[in-house]
Order: sequence, then structure tokens, then C-alpha cells
Amino acid sequence: MKRFWALVFLSVPVFGVLTFVVAPYFNHWFPQDISEHGRVIDQLFMFILWLTGIIFVATEGALFYFAWKYDARSNREPVKFSHGDHTLEVVWTILPAVTLLFIAIYQMNAWADAKMRKPDIPVTAEITGRQFNWDVRYPGPDGEMHTPDDIVRVDGDIHFPSGEEVLLVIKSADVLHSFFLPNLRMKQDVVPGMEQYMWFKARETGRFDIVCAELCGWGHYKMKGRATFEPRSEFNAWLGEKLTEQQTRTVAVSDAE
Amino acid sequence: MISTVGLAGCAESDPPAFRLDMTNVVAKQIAPDHQKAIANILGAMFGTPDKPFALPETGLDQRKLTMSAGPVWSDEQGGKHGLYRRHCAHCHGISGDGLGPTAAILNPFPRDYRSGVFKFKSTYKPAEPTDDDLRRIIHDGIPGTAMPSFALLPPDEVAALVEYVKYLSMRGQMETALVNFVFEEGYEPEDPLDPSADAELKNIIVNDLLADVVEGWHTAGEQIIVPDESAIPPADRTPEQIAESAAKGRELFYSATKGNCMQCHGPTGLGDGQQTDFDDWSKAKNEFISDTRSLNDEIQELKQGLSQLKGEEREAAKAELRQKGQELAERSALVDHMLPPRNAIPRNLRDGSYRGGRRPIDIFWRVWAGIPGMPMPGVGPVSEGAQGTLTQEEIWQIVDYVQSLPFERVNQPQHRPVNVEVVN
Repeated sequence: MKRFWALVFLSVPVFGVLTFVVAPYFNHWFPQDISEHGRVIDQLFMFILWLTGIIFVATEGALFYFAWKYDARSNREPVKFSHGDHTLEVVWTILPAVTLLFIAIYQMNAWADAKMRKPDIPVTAEITGRQFNWDVRYPGPDGEMHTPDDIVRVDGDIHFPSGEEVLLVIKSADVLHSFFLPNLRMKQDVVPGMEQYMWFKARETGRFDIVCAELCGWGHYKMKGRATFEPRSEFNAWLGEKLTEQQTRTVAVSDAE
Repeated sequence: MISTVGLAGCAESDPPAFRLDMTNVVAKQIAPDHQKAIANILGAMFGTPDKPFALPETGLDQRKLTMSAGPVWSDEQGGKHGLYRRHCAHCHGISGDGLGPTAAILNPFPRDYRSGVFKFKSTYKPAEPTDDDLRRIIHDGIPGTAMPSFALLPPDEVAALVEYVKYLSMRGQMETALVNFVFEEGYEPEDPLDPSADAELKNIIVNDLLADVVEGWHTAGEQIIVPDESAIPPADRTPEQIAESAAKGRELFYSATKGNCMQCHGPTGLGDGQQTDFDDWSKAKNEFISDTRSLNDEIQELKQGLSQLKGEEREAAKAELRQKGQELAERSALVDHMLPPRNAIPRNLRDGSYRGGRRPIDIFWRVWAGIPGMPMPGVGPVSEGAQGTLTQEEIWQIVDYVQSLPFERVNQPQHRPVNVEVVN
């Protein structure tokens, strides 16, 4: 029955691999990616997954093999001692070190593109995270932030132009939050007192989630917004509509009672 | 052992029930039997948190109430039920009393619907909000508070929640009316209070008390403040014209006889003119707390005088002490558990955050009617046809000034390029 434990150890890589194979059919896989940059992130993810997956299966397989072959009940020979093998130790230290170094360097470009190479374009919007809402401020017709014609929205319904580079400034009104656009593979922690930049380019149009990815209080789970990506012309039209609405000085009174 | 653990946690808890406003009940010394009777009457008129209903006199839509009430669940078509409990109850409480589990950690505290007083609306100060006002608050949220935006909910769910808020509000107002009725009519503890056995009482409850409560809600639509077309500034003003209007508004803002805004909002609009006033909800709590202190003082005096009394007088005094002691215990328990009264801090007009809405019309409404429940007074006519302190043109000028304040040079956000360059 000791071989039972060897089989238990075998079940780990078996079920592990099975889960990943089956996950997409249950919709437990990547959300739709609509960004230019997301492809690189997903590729990195898959590369690391395959690399570590193969090594994982191999090591678990070796563990199973030894547990099975040398289990006490079927192995009556006395234990043989070994003083270790220096070459083996060096090999299995250097190989993983090189692999890790490779992964670290391989992803540097992707990181720099997402976090360090800020495009030199005017800011599209300033997003303020507060407990428990995402507010947005657009520069308005004069193109400058913090002027009287800014368009300020507090209902979490944030629009962006698609097909062009978008630059956002992200601020916090109170505590830590994280502005997360799952469908663009972009996430930026919002630190009170800091102005963070985020940039991306959406390839498609549509409505996608904005969620908060840093615990910010009791309402963190419901701190959602909706990001709508639309062509520039529609985006400008929407901005115009919101600017007019923001200047409302009248009230519609229905005659129905 | 596993079976003990397994069996321990499967009992269903009781469904939630509405609570009476014990502060009011204890202050008016309503007898326990009458408290039960009032709770029963309210149950007969409004149902329970799981199964609400409203009498036809209220004009509430039963379908919307059913959608909002009860436990959270979804039907086969994906239609959501229990909306109030899903989205609102954890702050606003099951009874709409602003005493949900997360209320105590918030500043400002969530709204207590039971008085029927709502701060941000389009109607004259004493009037109720319209459905559209409530819908706008739910949709936009209240920036600067913990009330989030529910713009992502479908419109029919928002409409159902509006109906439920009105329902809770009417129920709270009815409860206050019943408690005041019992107090003012001088009911003795042994007097019955049963409208099912007393037709006249039923008539008073439905046709007087309920009718008064409901009237305010039904006439809210007629109480909307509609600005005169002629006074509204044109949409195509140049920046110079806007600045000119804002300058006039500035004069009015700082004038002691006209707007007198700086008395509270401060000499620079930072909200530091005075910060010692209270809103109506806190004033009621303060009154309850000070009455409790006076009662305590009375009891101490009685105790001191007790040693000088003898015989019957002494027995009578001891009985009074017992009764007052019991009342003090009830009051002290309520004082310990209530959310503390807080000063009403006037808005800092320089930070660009407007709780009731940032459109010019929203600020116009605040300046015209003031904010009900708060010390903010209105400068416009208090009802249609009345005379206000300022004309409509003057109010629009104040609106222009207020809207210009966050953009004065001194208020522009300071940029911190160092952090940003190093990080990204």
C-alpha cells in the first residue's frame, strides 16, 4: 500500500495538467484581449507556463518514479549511501539560474513598453479612484486639464477612443486602489499623493470591465466601472454630449402626475 | 467530531424585521404594549422586509417593491431580486434607518430615510424629492461620500430601488406620525390601540395620518423649482462675460445683506466660516442626549433628597426613582449605541467636489432652496409666488462664482514631476 502514496504524488501533475487543458472550455481562461500590448503579455504568460509546466511535469514524474521504484515494501535491499555528485549539483543549479535569468531579461522589454516608455501625447483623461467609485476628468475643448471646461463624470462610465494611443493619469482621492482593465492587460496601483501614468492602444471597440485590484475597504468588491471603447468620432461626440449635459441650467418637468 | 461540526451550522436564521425608532419611542415614553401595537399597525400597512406591500393610497408600485425586497436571488431569466439588500442595506439598514453594519465607519453617515428629508433635490425646501431626484442620486452617487454610483445597474432595477426608498421613507414617516399621535392623544398604558377593533381609529390612521404622509410625496412633482427662461444665462457666453457674472456673484457671496455665504463658507470659501452647527438628525440626537443627562441629574437629586423623607412620601419617592431609573437605563443604552452626532461642516467650495451634482442647475437649486435637514439656508422664494432674498439673475451669478472657485490660480493642483519621472 505504500505505492499508494507514489500514486498520490502522480495525481498532482496529472490533475494539474488536466485543469489547464480543460479550463478554456469552462471559460476559466484569459478574458478577451483587445489591446496591442496584451498579445505580448499573453505570450509571456504562455511561455512561462509551458516552460515551468514541462519542468514541473518532469520533476513530478521523477518524484513518482523514485517513490514507486524504491518503496519500502517492495525493496528489501539495504540503503546505499552516496556522497553526492558534484557535477550533478552544479548542473542543476546553473541550469535553473540560467533559465530564470533568461526569463528576467526576456520580459524586460515588455515591462518597459508598458511602464517606462511613456508616449509623448497629451493626456486623454485623468482617472481618480475613490472609495468606491472611479471618477474621470477629460480635458474638454480647450485641451487642457483643470480648466473650467473640463468634463467630469462620477458615474464610472468611462469612454476611450479606440485605435489610437491613450494616455491616462491615475490618482487616488483617499486610499490605495488599483485601476485594472482586464481586457487590456493593464493594471496600475493608485497611490495617494502620486500621479501615475498608464498608456495603451485598444484594437477593438466594445464595453469592458474596470475593476479595482487593490483592497481599499469594505466596498472593494463592488468598485467597478465600465470602459467603453469607441472610434474617435463617436468618442468626441460623446464628450460633446456630456459637456452640454454638464452645463444644464434647465429642468424638464413632465406634465404627467 | 466531524458530525458535530457538520451539524452545527445549518440552522436557518430568522428573517430580518423592521425596527421601531427607539429614540423617539423612549423619548415619548410609549408603553411597551403600545410599541407592539404600533409595530403591528405598521406591519399591517406596510408588510415585512421580505414581503412588503403598500396600501393603494400610497400610490407605490407593488411589482417594484417585490423586486427590491426580500433575500438576494436571481430567477431563471436572470432577473435580480432582493436589490435593496444586495446594494443598499449594508449602509442604509433594513429599516432604512441609516444603521446598517457598515454605517458606523463612514463619514458622513448614510441617510436615514425615515424622516422623509432628503438633501439633494430639485424641489422647494419643505417638499419631498421627485422620483427623478432619487433616480439621479442612485445613478450618479454622491461624490465626496461613500454613496457610489449605480450607473451600471439597468434602469428598471434603479426604478425599483427608487420605489423601495420611498416605501421605507413613507413607513418611517408613518411610524413617527403614529408615535406622535399616541403621545399627543394622551393614551394611558392600559388603553387599547387596535384599529381592527376601532373603526374611528382606523379612519384617523388611514385618512388623516397616512394621507398627510402621502400628500407630500404625490405633490413633489408640483414643487419643482423651474428657473425662468429669461433669467437663465445664454449658453454661448464668452469667457469675459462669464468672468463678469462671476465677479457680481462674488459681491453677493461676500455681502452680509445679500447672499451672506461667507458666514458659513468662510472668508475664502474653504468652509471654515463656522463649523459648530449640526444637521437636523444630529440635533435630534443632541436633544436626546441632553435630556438623558438632565434625567440623570434629576435622579441624583432625588437620591440625595431621599434620606430626608419618611413613610409614604419616602415610598412614593422610591417608586419614582425606580421608574426614572428604568427610563435612564433605556435611554443610556440607546445613547451608547447610537451613531455619534457630528457637526455639519460647510462645504469647501474650492475643491470642486459637489455632492448634489455639479451642473449649474444643481448648484442653482442648492442656493435657491438651501439643503433640507442642514443649516444651509435658501435665498430664493420658499414657495411658488413668494419673494426671495435674491433674484434669479443674482442666483445664477452666485452659481458662476461658485463654479469658478476651483479654477482660481491658487487652487490648481501642484504637479510633482519628480516621483512621476522616476517611476514611469
